[in-house]
Amino acid sequence: MVNGEERTVEFPPARRLLDVLREDLRLTGTKEGCGEGECGACTVLVNGETVVSCLMAAGQVRDGAEIMTVEGLERSEGGRLLQRMYQEKGAAQCGFCIPGMIVSSYAYLRRGESLSDQTMRDAHAGNICRCTGYEKIMEAVAAAAERWPRSELAKTESES
Amino acid sequence: MAATISKRTYEHVGKSLIRLDGEEKVRGLTQYIDDLPFPDCWMGVVVRSQVSHGRLRKLVFDPEFDFSGVCVVTPKDIPGKNIVDLMGQDMPFIVEDVIRYRGEPLALVAAPTKALAEEAANHIRAEIEELTPIHTLGEVVERHKAGGTGLDVLAAQTIEKGALAEGFAKAERIVEGEYWAGHQEQLYIEPQGMVAIPEKDGGVFLQGSLQCPYYVAPELMITLDLPLEKIRVKQAAVGGAFGGKEEFPTLIAGYCALLALKCGKPVKMIYDRNQDILYTTKRHPSWARYRTGLSREGTITAMEVDFVLDGGAYTTLSPVVLSRGILHTTLGYKIDHVFVNGQVYRTHTFPNGAFRGFGAPQAIWGLESHIEECAAAAGLSPETFRRKNCLHVGDRTGTGQVIAEDMDPPAVMEEALKRAEFEKKLTSCTHGKPVNGRFYGIGLSFFGHGSGFTGDGERRLKSKAALDLEWFEDGRPGVNIRISSTEMGQGTLTIMPQIAADGLRVSMDRVRCPLPDTRYVPDSGPTVASRTAMVVGGTVFGAAEKLKAALEGYASESLFGGHGVHLDGGRFHCDVTGTSESFEAVAERYLKEKGPLRVYHQFQLPETIVWDQKTFKGDSYPSYSWGCNIAEVEVDALTLEVKLVRIVACYDIGRLINPMLAKGQIEGGLVQALGYALMEKMEIKDGLYDASRMQTYVIPTALDIPEMDITFLEYPYTHTAPGAKGVGEIPMDGLAPAVANALVAATGLRLRKIPITPEMMLEAVMKESGEGLGMLAAG
Repeated sequence: MVNGEERTVEFPPARRLLDVLREDLRLTGTKEGCGEGECGACTVLVNGETVVSCLMAAGQVRDGAEIMTVEGLERSEGGRLLQRMYQEKGAAQCGFCIPGMIVSSYAYLRRGESLSDQTMRDAHAGNICRCTGYEKIMEAVAAAAERWPRSELAKTESES
Repeated sequence: MAATISKRTYEHVGKSLIRLDGEEKVRGLTQYIDDLPFPDCWMGVVVRSQVSHGRLRKLVFDPEFDFSGVCVVTPKDIPGKNIVDLMGQDMPFIVEDVIRYRGEPLALVAAPTKALAEEAANHIRAEIEELTPIHTLGEVVERHKAGGTGLDVLAAQTIEKGALAEGFAKAERIVEGEYWAGHQEQLYIEPQGMVAIPEKDGGVFLQGSLQCPYYVAPELMITLDLPLEKIRVKQAAVGGAFGGKEEFPTLIAGYCALLALKCGKPVKMIYDRNQDILYTTKRHPSWARYRTGLSREGTITAMEVDFVLDGGAYTTLSPVVLSRGILHTTLGYKIDHVFVNGQVYRTHTFPNGAFRGFGAPQAIWGLESHIEECAAAAGLSPETFRRKNCLHVGDRTGTGQVIAEDMDPPAVMEEALKRAEFEKKLTSCTHGKPVNGRFYGIGLSFFGHGSGFTGDGERRLKSKAALDLEWFEDGRPGVNIRISSTEMGQGTLTIMPQIAADGLRVSMDRVRCPLPDTRYVPDSGPTVASRTAMVVGGTVFGAAEKLKAALEGYASESLFGGHGVHLDGGRFHCDVTGTSESFEAVAERYLKEKGPLRVYHQFQLPETIVWDQKTFKGDSYPSYSWGCNIAEVEVDALTLEVKLVRIVACYDIGRLINPMLAKGQIEGGLVQALGYALMEKMEIKDGLYDASRMQTYVIPTALDIPEMDITFLEYPYTHTAPGAKGVGEIPMDGLAPAVANALVAATGLRLRKIPITPEMMLEAVMKESGEGLGMLAAG
């Protein structure tokens, strides 16, 4: 499942998930910034967990796994809220890191950790931005956290 | 006129409107060059020299390899001259004889797949006679101090004011200091990328990640032997640039175009991160030696500066980086006797080039470290010494430019001092005696940044903007802003519609600014030098006023019986008839009757700006932005790790067009400056940068960000509305010396080289006497 739709693609197992998304599925929102897992521009969710898709072999993604890329964000209320807050706070400048950054923000808010400057920064430490100095990104995440829909908190162990 | 501009009020200018390209960016819909589909596209690679300096004897093509399925370009395939048309014209596109940096192109290869192109490239071997290279600024400065023998000068310029000897004769004491700065990589997150498509008429269409479409197009004319109209350049969305996509894209565009013209297919090159770091431009490493005379009262009587830049292998933009550099080596202070000697020398490394600040951060790093040493020598506090010596209205800069009444340089310093409670916090500094295992210090820097091209450059550039009244895709009339200025994150596509809407006095929803394509836009100059908001913004405003006048004339004749009308608030009003009509209705009528309307406007530099490019005397910039940075640092006495805990920064960048975007520029720029000051270390090993990947070239993450207090004071540029002065570069300028000055207050150690890593701190401690080592033990 990619962004809620079932997609079937064939590829050599070692092909990078990033390439399958960008080239085979034409989901070009996910970006390659370094190809070695340092910049985080290629961050996507696999079964709710953030992964850097440049380091993941597509063959590691099991059949039936749920992948969410930046394009899938607007399918949820929380995703749309984040998109709005990123815009209102001026969190995107050149925008190239944003697809990975905002996916990390989404994963962070979904986890429902206690909101603090430190947990917020920790959650985005794997996403490099060269334009903003991160300030407006943090402001956007904090603003989204205040209104985060309860229905979009990941179920905890005990609940599941 | 000046008063009119500074007092004018605006409807959209000055508002923190959300960026117009924001929605597509947060949805992941923005298409950067590697996201655009180019069917039947071949992939290009560069065959590079593995030695830094030598003579190419021969290229050997492996007879075992089948080259028939690939396209190879060597110098004999170049239609025009084998020259990259940057300054000096000394760099070939492809080496024919002398190799001057490791990685210099020996051949270009394209193939239907990147794998095949790379394989073919691996079967091309070079026979090279090696020569002795010079790799580092350290080697350069050693030779420079010994008279410069054995060095190639790529550019040289001096500034002279008064008589140095006379100034030093008045001095009670003389302060000297040397300051070094290393390479810095722009590290835009989107790597360099370009596509060239051969056109049926023999020309070429280029699309890519670039800052300056009108650099790429004319600079390829002599290489491709094509007239300008046959080289079309279009900007794709740019994922960050910071100067790194100013002159470099001409190279990658040339590689792609040469291959595409030979193989007849579209050719694309997207650098991977390793290539992007190894084979693109960096900030020039610098060395400066200051010698300053001080009177008994602590007044500067003379200042002598020796300023050296490592240019890398070829001239490229070094002469202009040097110009901006030396002009900022003494900027901000009133000094009657000045001599600045600037030199750029060749090293056998990739040519250094444009990077946000363009020589000014290097100069200000030296100046503001040195000013602090002067203050200490004079026995004055940092702020008292600066107040005493800084430029006030009516004073003259090092080139003789009078500080006009439309600005007040020290105002930003006073504001920052107040906000930071500087004088109070200065008393808590630890001065080498740690408290609870930590050193604490606060440090200051004050600086200016010239807005726009140096001297009368803006007069020679003749920036043009056009506005097109035409039909939008929705079938309704609208106005397209046609400028060559690019959006690379800083907000051009948002501020230009704000400005144009205010010039026209209409709402913003029918005004937009598409990405530039040289087929449609006039040359408004490059997107560099903190000039876009001031110069191009002013030109767009002028064009909008012309369009407004044209439409008012039309409305008067066609709708209001020839009576005078004025457009305001999106409606044409006629005082005589007492009636009004909407902008859209009039525009629609105009388009149906007469067709699209284009108006042009050209930037005018005031006649009062007079500059002598030979002697470097006169008005070195149309105006200046001013800034003050105050840094608070903590140093772990055991690990010597430096933590920047707080920055107070105040700027005068002229009129704020969009305060939220302006603040975003400052925050991002300060964080790049933080990297420059403390983290981003890059040295040369075997002719290549040792930090050649994101894993090894470390830049700030969300965890490294200090608290930032950023404020603006507005002193608008008074010659062109709406009066911005430039924000792009100034945040890069002053943080490194503020941090170094804070470290002196904290530890007593003066760090003379950036980046200041813990290793550098340890070295500084070890250089000190036993006392210094004791410091460590004390922690």
